[in-house]
Amino acid sequence: MTIKKSFILYLLTFVFCCHSEKKSTAENPFDTLASEEVSVRESKYPRWVDDIEFDPKVDDAAFKVCYGDNHIIQYFNNSRGVEYEGEKTAIDQAFQDGYDESKAAKESGLIRVRFIVNCEGKTGRFRILAMDEAYNEKAFDASITGQLLEITKSLTGWKPKVERGSKVDYYQYLIFKIQNGAIVKILP
Amino acid sequence: MKQLVVISLFLPLWVYGQPNCQALLYYGDTLQYKACKLVEDIDKRYYQFSREYQELMDQALEICPYFAYAYREKSSVYVKSGNFIMWKKLIDKAVEYAPQDYLSVRASLKFKMFADYQGAIEDINLLDSLVDYDIGPTSNGIYHLNIAKALCYKALGKKEKAIQIVEDQLAKASHYLGAYDYLHLGVLYLETNQWQKAIEAFQKQEEENNLAENHYYLALVYKKLGQVEPYKYHLKEATSLYHNRYHMFDPYNHLLDEIFLENIESEVETAYNPR
Repeated sequence: MTIKKSFILYLLTFVFCCHSEKKSTAENPFDTLASEEVSVRESKYPRWVDDIEFDPKVDDAAFKVCYGDNHIIQYFNNSRGVEYEGEKTAIDQAFQDGYDESKAAKESGLIRVRFIVNCEGKTGRFRILAMDEAYNEKAFDASITGQLLEITKSLTGWKPKVERGSKVDYYQYLIFKIQNGAIVKILP
Repeated sequence: MKQLVVISLFLPLWVYGQPNCQALLYYGDTLQYKACKLVEDIDKRYYQFSREYQELMDQALEICPYFAYAYREKSSVYVKSGNFIMWKKLIDKAVEYAPQDYLSVRASLKFKMFADYQGAIEDINLLDSLVDYDIGPTSNGIYHLNIAKALCYKALGKKEKAIQIVEDQLAKASHYLGAYDYLHLGVLYLETNQWQKAIEAFQKQEEENNLAENHYYLALVYKKLGQVEPYKYHLKEATSLYHNRYHMFDPYNHLLDEIFLENIESEVETAYNPR
């Protein structure tokens, strides 16, 4: 084999391998669950990474997922990204209108509010995770997290995700970049 | 066999998507080779978010604690769920054991998923100092890392520096044009009042990848120039392209300079009802 051919093979290796956000053949969780019962066994991991289990102390018992906890997909699984009535501008506007910076402690970092959107577009099981600017876990003052949580809970424009023609439950999150108590960016 | 040896000489130890177990064996790292073989076809067996996927990666790390690929793969689901704490712990381990392979990934995701612009710049600069070859694209292939670095500077308010980096990168004969390169450059010119350069950049973007965004921003340039007809024309074009889904999009997050229907409609309102 010539060096030229080898070099082409080398290039092809990159072409076929460099997909960081790759599609797995088992991309959709429904695929892996369709033909098997989910076994309950000891593990340090939940069924799916970062699952949010129902907690009667903090969660609204009236909020229900439509297909059970094992069938909640991630917001990007249907390749349509964040689906909200009025798109990102409507989400930004809700926080611009509702968040009172003057009442917020002068803290900085990232705050994630993660939750479930069910097949009816209703939301529940909200959880907060926060960090300082060096990626260390941090508890922000309630004057910030309380406002973010309440406004996130008040958002009503989430569209149900559709998989194979059916509306399904999914995990969504919003990440707030906070500088001195002000929201400077909302992700994803 | 000779052919295999020749090929192996050119193969990287691992690349972002899939480990090259054979190359590890060739270089005599049997520990990494064993770990690599254990997870070689993991994507065919398990969904990345599943318990089984994480557990198998843990087993690979028990075999070889410095198997950077496993840390990178484990981190991937956490970045997708927005769990910056777990993601950072895991990607840092991948970078610790294979900085030349994973600094670009960490930089890309700091920039893309967590708006950590300063952190991304530092990682890109560190990678640049470690290698004597082109530092290459972001982990999703959308941008060259230098374009991503320019966008980080823009987000930090250093627009002139951003323009210089983009111009330098685009001038390189080896540069593979990204899907949004000229769009971002045009917006940078627009934001620094360089109208003619902005128009030229948006025209180049239209030739390469015609999007609602370049017409929307082009409309804003003509608005600044007081040219009403092209202002309205490009808003119309932007509206049409947006409705036909020709606009910036990423399934994981919103992009810098991405626009939404409300942005166009609001501008149309202004165009037809000037105050």
